[in-house]
Formats: sequence, C-alpha cells, structure tokens
Amino acid sequence: MTLPTPYVSRIDRRTTLAWLGGAAAALAGGAAAVPARSEAAVVTHAVANGYGTDPKLTHPAPAPWPRLLTKAQLQTAALLCDFILPASADAPSATALGVPDFIDEWISAPYPDQVRDRPVILAGLTWIEDEAQRRYRSDLFHAAPADRTALLTALTQKPTDAALAKPHMFLWRFRALVIGAYYTTKPGFKDVGYHGNVALASYPGPSDAVKAHLDRELKKLGL
Amino acid sequence: MTEPYDVIIVGSGAGGGMSAYTLTKAGLKVLMLEAGRNYDPITETPMFNIPSEAPLRGNSTPDKPFGFYDATIDGGWEVPNEPYTIAEGSEPFMWWRPRMLGGRTNHWGRISLRFGPLDFKPRSRDGLGQDWPITYDELAPWYDKVERLIGVTGRAQGLLNTPDSPEGCLQPPPTPRAYEQFVTRGFNGLGIPVAAMHAAVLTQPLNGRAACFYATGCGRGCSIKANFQSTTVLLPPAMATGNLEIRANALVYQVDLDRAGKAKGVTFVDRVTGEHHSVTARSVVLAAGACESARILLNSKSAAFPDGLCNTHGMVGRYLMDSVGASASGQFPALENLPPTNDDGISLGHIYVPWWGYEKQAKKELPFPRGYHIEMGGGRSMPSMSLGGMLSFAGGDMTVGSALRDDARRIYGSYIGFAGRGEMIPNEDCYTDLDPVVKDKWGIPVLRFHWKWSEHETGQAAHMVKTFLEVIDRLGGKPTPGYQTDGKRAISRGGEIIHEVGTVRMGHSPEDSVVNAYGQSWAVSNLFVTDGAVLVSSPDKNPTLSILALAWRSADHLATLAKRGDL
Repeated sequence: MTLPTPYVSRIDRRTTLAWLGGAAAALAGGAAAVPARSEAAVVTHAVANGYGTDPKLTHPAPAPWPRLLTKAQLQTAALLCDFILPASADAPSATALGVPDFIDEWISAPYPDQVRDRPVILAGLTWIEDEAQRRYRSDLFHAAPADRTALLTALTQKPTDAALAKPHMFLWRFRALVIGAYYTTKPGFKDVGYHGNVALASYPGPSDAVKAHLDRELKKLGL
Repeated sequence: MTEPYDVIIVGSGAGGGMSAYTLTKAGLKVLMLEAGRNYDPITETPMFNIPSEAPLRGNSTPDKPFGFYDATIDGGWEVPNEPYTIAEGSEPFMWWRPRMLGGRTNHWGRISLRFGPLDFKPRSRDGLGQDWPITYDELAPWYDKVERLIGVTGRAQGLLNTPDSPEGCLQPPPTPRAYEQFVTRGFNGLGIPVAAMHAAVLTQPLNGRAACFYATGCGRGCSIKANFQSTTVLLPPAMATGNLEIRANALVYQVDLDRAGKAKGVTFVDRVTGEHHSVTARSVVLAAGACESARILLNSKSAAFPDGLCNTHGMVGRYLMDSVGASASGQFPALENLPPTNDDGISLGHIYVPWWGYEKQAKKELPFPRGYHIEMGGGRSMPSMSLGGMLSFAGGDMTVGSALRDDARRIYGSYIGFAGRGEMIPNEDCYTDLDPVVKDKWGIPVLRFHWKWSEHETGQAAHMVKTFLEVIDRLGGKPTPGYQTDGKRAISRGGEIIHEVGTVRMGHSPEDSVVNAYGQSWAVSNLFVTDGAVLVSSPDKNPTLSILALAWRSADHLATLAKRGDL
C-alpha cells in the first residue's frame, strides 16, 4: 500500500522565532517555555497576542501567535487539504502551497472570528481520526487510499444521518478556509483567472471577447 | 519658528491639510498638531503585496478592521486608551478614528461628488432640516479649485442636482469594467441613469504626481501619489513653503482663551510621553474630525463658557449626521465564465448611480423625502478569503478537486455588491455630549453618543434594498441570502458609513449655529472650524470633497482677516 507523502510544515525559522517571541510575551511572568509545535494538544493559548494596530505593511512579519495544532492534527489537516484541492495538471496542490500551516495559523489566532472557528476545526479533525479508527482501526494517514476517500467523500454529501451533521458543517467551513487560502496565492490567482496586480500605462477596459460574451448574455435578458 | 504662531491647526486630514495648504501659501506661520503618529505613504504603503504575504491572508481583525493592508494606523472602531460611550436607550453608534498623519484621507473611498444646489437649501425644498448660509454658486468656484488641485475623474452628465464641473476641472474617467457595463444596462432597463465615477484618482499626471497604474487598492494609500491623500497632495507643498511645522502624537483637548476672550492657543497631551503642553498662536483652526472638534470645544470650559467653548446656545455636538447605508449583493449567471480580464482599474467603482428620484419626491410620489446614490463593487478583483464563502453559497453540492476548481473559475467575478449612500435629515435625537463619568487614559472626558434614525432614513434604506433586488432580478441574478427588506433592519448603524458630520454647524446667527458661513466661530472671532463639523446637512454625496472646498474657502478668509489685522 502506498502511503501519502507526510506533510512537512513549511514554516521557516523566522516564523518559529516569532511564535517563540509571542509565546514568551504571552507568558511573561515566569512560566516555562512553550515548544513551537507540541506532540500533544496545547492549551496555553488564551493570552496570545495579535499583531497589533500598527504592523509593518510593506514587509509583514509572520503572525506572532504560537500554533496550536499538534503534529498529528496537522497531518490530518494536510490530508483534508489535498482531498479538497489536490494538484491538477496546471496547478499545485493545497499542501504544496502550505495551506495546512495557514489553517493552523488561522485557528490559533487570538481574534474573535478565528477563536470561533477553533473548536469547530479541532472537533472536526478529532472526529475524522476517531471515525478512521472506528471504521478501519487505523489513523487516516495509514488507511487504505480507497477507505480514506470513502470516509471524506461521505462527509461532502448532505447528511441523512444526524450524527454526520456536525462533521458535514465542519467540512464546509474547513473547505471555505482552504479555498480562501489557496486562491489568495500567486498560483491560486493563475488558476482562478485573476489577471490584475500589474502596473499598466492605461486601463484598456474589457476586451472584444468579453464584450461579445456580455452582449450575448444581455440579449438573452432582453437588454 | 517661534511662538506665538500665526495659526495652530488641530488635525491633518481633509480639513486640516487643506487649511495648512492655504494658510502656509498665504505666508502665515503654522503649527499643525496631529494626534497620531507621523506617517509616510511613500515608504509605508504596501504596493502590490498580496494576501498570502500577510497574517490571516490579510483578513480583517479587530486590530485592522478593514483588513491588514488598510492604511489605518492605531485606529478603527476602537482606539487604544481613547474610549467613547453610547447613551442609555440610544441606538448604536460607531466612531472610526485613525491615529496617523493625514487622518482618514489615507484610507478613504475617494468618491468625490459635489453637493448640488438643492442640497444647500433643504428646508426651502421640503420643509425639513436647515438651510445653509451659503448657496451652491458661492461654493462652486472652490469646488473647481479643489478638483483642479487634487485631481478628480468624471464627466458632465446633465443630471438634476448632480453638478457638472466647468471644462478643465475633471480628469477623464476610466473605461467601465465588464460587470459595470453589464449592470449599467440593467439600471438603464429600469429607467435609471448611470454616471461616470467622480474619484480622487489621477488618470493623467498632475503637478508632479503620477497617474494611476491600475493596481493596488486605494484604501492602502498610494506611494506613487496617484490618489488624493492629505499626506501626498496637501502637506508636502505646505511644508515646502517653510511655513509649516508638524507635531505628531499631540492630542489636543482644549482651546485656551486670553483675558479678552480671544483664543490664545491650545493645550494637548503627548500620547507617547503623557506630558501636557500648551502652545500659543494668534488664531486657532479646529479640524480634528467632526466629533473630536466638538469634544475639544466641550472640554474647553471657562467662566465665560461653563458648558464648553462656543456652546452658550447648546449647539455644540448637536445635529450629528451620518450617511444612510444599506446593501445587498447578487450572483449573476450571465457573468459566469467571462474570459479572464484585468478588472483592477482604479480600485473603486468606475461608475455610480446618482439619485434619480428628485422629480418624484417633489411630487410626493415617494414615501421618503431625500435621495441616495448607489455604489457598486464586483468583477475579478484580487481574490480574498471571501472567495471561500462565495463558493459555499453558490453550490448546493460540496465539490472538491477538479469540480471545485471548475466552480471557482465559474463563480469568481460573477458577484456584484450594491451599496446605497443616502441623505440623513438632522434631528434632535442625534448628538454627542461629554460622558459625565468616563475619561480617557489622560483623564480627559470622552464623548457620549446619542443616536436614533427616523422614518425618513429607514424608509429610504428599504427603498435602496428594493432597488437592488429589482436590478439583480432584471439582470437574471440571484440575491445573496442575508439581505433585509425591512428598512429598520437594513439600515447601517449610526457612524458606520464614516461620514459623521454636523456637531459645529455653520449658520445665519449665533442662535442657530456655532460658526458663520466661513467656519469662524460666533463667540471667538479668531477660532475657526474647517472639518465636517460645520456641515448643515448631509446630502447623499460623500462629504470629503465638500469639506475640502469649505476648508479652502474658510482658510482663505482667515488669511485675509489675519493680513488685515481683523481677527
């Protein structure tokens, strides 16, 4: 059986140092140092700092808060990311763009929207691993590819079983985060067809092809 | 420069920047006091940065409520150490403040619409609100000057109460984007005219400033000076005169009077050191923002003015207004799978819908007295985290893999958002005063807000949403769930549109106003107000262009009086 490639965090040393700085600031007062990523669930996150009201904008510093996903949770998240957006012929996979680390950054952030997402995402990742154990006596990573796909595909369907309602809603949210994270990168821009963010001497407006498309559609609408 | 200065200006945004530009060019020695930190758009603007370079993909947070790359510094709906309160029983009110040189001109929407002739005489028009002490014709030459100085796009359209500028004032408007050409046909199909946007963005070089290169959102600021910011357009030429000194982190809380009852300067706290300082000048200009200027007056108490400076008739803080806002959006199958194209443009809309119902209102055929204009957003703008939400709404099925990629390409660029911005009529329930208990970090009493929309505004908000749904339907679109048809639910919160004006209004006499038609206070002849506080009404047209025109006119008058020794 072929195992998936383990996800290797794409976090650089600069970011890790930023977390340690953030953790040290959060724990100022003498608590023990916090590892950059722990083996077990971390609970010492309540007092993490945000990036403040005057961050440098031209060269943003990495998000300063410590990451909360364990190594195992990050692997589960990575499998989900590539279930949602695997590589295509023209575009890289979500993991190749570091989306699992973004999920970790997001759910670890100290802001209200992200704090609201945190228990939803953590519970969903836990549910998936528990379900893999229940069904296949394996974690998701070591499950047979067909089993892994079956488990995740079932979650994309509108649930008929009430027990699947929460995991299904989790996947909607997780998917929205993956989509947002993926398409806000340069490869994501290319894949979705965003052609801006380049300096132009003049603004040409829509091309003849675009105008022809619009004329066809407006005609159908009687306009 | 040495004290006393000729003029102290409090604030560096539209009103303060314009005052400094005018007064320093007239040869007066000026000290500008800015509550926030110094700020340089040339080196600090994140040009071309994309979401993946920023924490949380640049998504908004309480630290940066309009997103990571928004220009606002140390501010937003809350400013650390500087609270405000809402009176018991009041509807919500929100107060956006930055703490940076140039104030809100760094991030503002750049929509630059002249008020029209009817807007200056609202009471004469329908018996509501108050007439201004000036007419459109009196302000028109100052609008001309402002447009020529800052650079505003647009073209003559010949629409009622939507003034055309004289030849040579405006820059060519950019070509409408695909979705804008599409939505124009929808509005025209409903008999509603669409106009070229009046945007404070250069499409041609002007006074050493480059034209827009059609990339990077204006809300970030602009390092090539292609849009209007006080920090790129007004303050550099003022500094070049050698007559301007700027002190940052100076939070002014009091105007000081001499024995004769004239203003002799101001007192401020340094936000960094916490030290209090007084500085002196022959005249004082308040341009701290409508609410902050009112706060300074209310906190300037003396034996002659026990309820606050210029507040003998209880007018300071009164007639606080904001624009009425309501919004809805739609997804349009006709826009799906458009050939990819660069829709960045000047970042704000290239078109807008001016109010089209003046004649109907004159005939009492609409259930609300005043109008609104419509702003739109859409197209293939730089993807943000919201794309995930769009794909959650549009699908029924949760696609993954190549089906998801197809969905993303199909849906992206097929949404159009509609926002109404309407006129609020000043009322007795909307005002600000000092909170009797709460003080800021430095012990200065803070503002307390009182707010209540009237039926004039909620009726208008309901009409906005009705119009949006009609045009979405006409264009074969599906409205995004969550819209409100009940005006009371659809309407924005007070202050949320960040067009708060009024509070120190101009008028015909000390009984009906705080300042005269030149922003000169009735009570203290060498004290002027040149920000949005002086506005008598709040037409649907966004206020900044009018604040600039009024400030230029007021500062010009101040300079004339100063030279004559008449202050």
